[in-house]
Amino acid sequence: MSEPNLLVLLSMLTTGILLGLIFALVASGVSIMYGCIWLPNASNGQFFVLAALLAWSLTSQLGWRVSAALIAILAVSGIFAIILEYVLIRRLYDSPNRNIDYFVVTLGLTQIISGIFGFTYSHYSDQYIIPPLVEGVTFIGPMPTTNNRLLVIAVAATAILALFAGFRFHRIGRAIRAVFQNREAAALRGVDVKGVYRIAFILGTVITALGGLLYGMAYSFDLGLAWTMSVTAFAIMIVGGPGSILGALVVGLVFGFTQAVVSVFSSPTMATFAYLIAMLAILLVKPSGVFSR
Amino acid sequence: MKGRPFLAAAVLLSTATVLLPFALQSNRFIAFIVGMVMIHLVWSCGMNLLYGFVGLMPLMYAGIAGIAAYAMIYLTRVEGLSFWLAMPIASLGAAGVGVLLGLPSLRLRGFYFTLCSLVIQTGMTLAFTYFPRYTNGDTGIGQIAPPSIGGTPLAGATLDAMLALFAVAAVWSVAFLIRTPTGRRFIAVREDEVLAEAVGIDVVRTKVIAFFLMSLYAGVGGCLYAVYVGFVSPRAFDILVSLSIWLLVAFGGRGSIIGAIIGTVILAPLPYLLHDLSGLKDVLTGALIVAVILWFPGGIVEGVKSIRKRVLAKAATVPPAHAEAVHRKVEGRA
Repeated sequence: MSEPNLLVLLSMLTTGILLGLIFALVASGVSIMYGCIWLPNASNGQFFVLAALLAWSLTSQLGWRVSAALIAILAVSGIFAIILEYVLIRRLYDSPNRNIDYFVVTLGLTQIISGIFGFTYSHYSDQYIIPPLVEGVTFIGPMPTTNNRLLVIAVAATAILALFAGFRFHRIGRAIRAVFQNREAAALRGVDVKGVYRIAFILGTVITALGGLLYGMAYSFDLGLAWTMSVTAFAIMIVGGPGSILGALVVGLVFGFTQAVVSVFSSPTMATFAYLIAMLAILLVKPSGVFSR
Repeated sequence: MKGRPFLAAAVLLSTATVLLPFALQSNRFIAFIVGMVMIHLVWSCGMNLLYGFVGLMPLMYAGIAGIAAYAMIYLTRVEGLSFWLAMPIASLGAAGVGVLLGLPSLRLRGFYFTLCSLVIQTGMTLAFTYFPRYTNGDTGIGQIAPPSIGGTPLAGATLDAMLALFAVAAVWSVAFLIRTPTGRRFIAVREDEVLAEAVGIDVVRTKVIAFFLMSLYAGVGGCLYAVYVGFVSPRAFDILVSLSIWLLVAFGGRGSIIGAIIGTVILAPLPYLLHDLSGLKDVLTGALIVAVILWFPGGIVEGVKSIRKRVLAKAATVPPAHAEAVHRKVEGRA
């Protein structure tokens, strides 16, 4: 293979892995929330972009160190989730058709957050980027890759592995899975179902924020990313099957590579079209998803 | 409340609505807002038909309106048809598309249908932007000519009165429609699809009819919007517009004609009154959406009803169960 072609292929591969892992991470967060609480969080894309924007503010505007900013934002996203759960989310835990109610509520939240962006961040710039956490460049074959991007890949992969391990072995992870499978049976066996709901909401929000931070470190982003990310995360969740982290990982990687390949030949919007069609097809043929039990 | 006096009041109000634009010409800004309220009344009638009476939440509503608007513009500009011919063709075409897009509802219910409609809406917005041949992409299409009668273009009060006429026709047609057997079938499907099927209602046919009618209102509203504002872009028909039209109905009171009117009259002017603070408008709309779902699911109409019921229950010590039954009977007729 000639050198330029190899370069294109390698860059496609790294982009695919990077995007795929971030997609998978955010979709896992959405999937955990939906599988557990029945909460289809349409505002996940806004949370995603909000985390990245806050990181941009703390580092570029206020001069914080990048590592300090990232940790602070993860902590703040957890606190934000606790407050949101207390004020809004818990009110519908007992409602029978709560998934559509939650869907509309989170669409409302989406509009609130994008309205706030409208009179805050939209004045600054069109494109934002978080400064790199580590400097330097590593060569993969002939292709130079920034260490920062490699670190992003490593963090995303570790986070997904930690999710897998936590769900398999940790007490709380197993409780969340028990609630996925059968709420009543889990309650009868002594699982505090509402406590699990609360943990799932906080966990899902923090994971989404982490995804946003990682994306903002690897690529520049704009406010329009929020809606694209929401739709993509939903598409991954529906195709992979709500509540399945394996499904989120596999489909997330497939979508990431699709976007990487499509972006070489035409606009990334074509990839979004492809996700939408995939989601529509799965919704109509098998709404429970490919990886559902 | 129903009966002859009510009918008389409705006729009087309708006449006043059509004449209202002539009284408002001294202030173009107010007249414009009233015109937008009229267009939103057409839209909220269609949304109420599907969301209020059939119980499905179609988030691709604005997209269907957009298809009609773009088709109407194409027909008038490129094919040279008059507005009065292009609008029915475009609206019927959009209604056909609406029926196709409604087909998923035959398999999906509740959240999954709404998610599906959101996917369709997002796809349509992308298509409006990325296939600029008919839509001119994000730049939009400007200087859309107003409709004309006998060679004179409508403007000012006559154009406003035409919108008012459409709004009144939309409200009356929905009020008439839900009193026909088809309308009863809509409500039966909303209340219990399985039961409706069991008593011999063709649920598939009922839903297809509902989607056709809903899309017709959406399409007519879209065409009116295009000629009244004179400018369309994909942002005029995106998901936020679908949501805000849904909010008109949900805020006023779903499944109630008066509710949809009240919701529209209160909420439709807000974006124009808050024009300089567009972010604030989004925050307010979002907060209202959250509030409607969490605190007053039945909207204004249900709120008023429950207050009245409490007052009545205190006045006449009717057993609550009986009051509930009476209440339900009244609602069934609404």
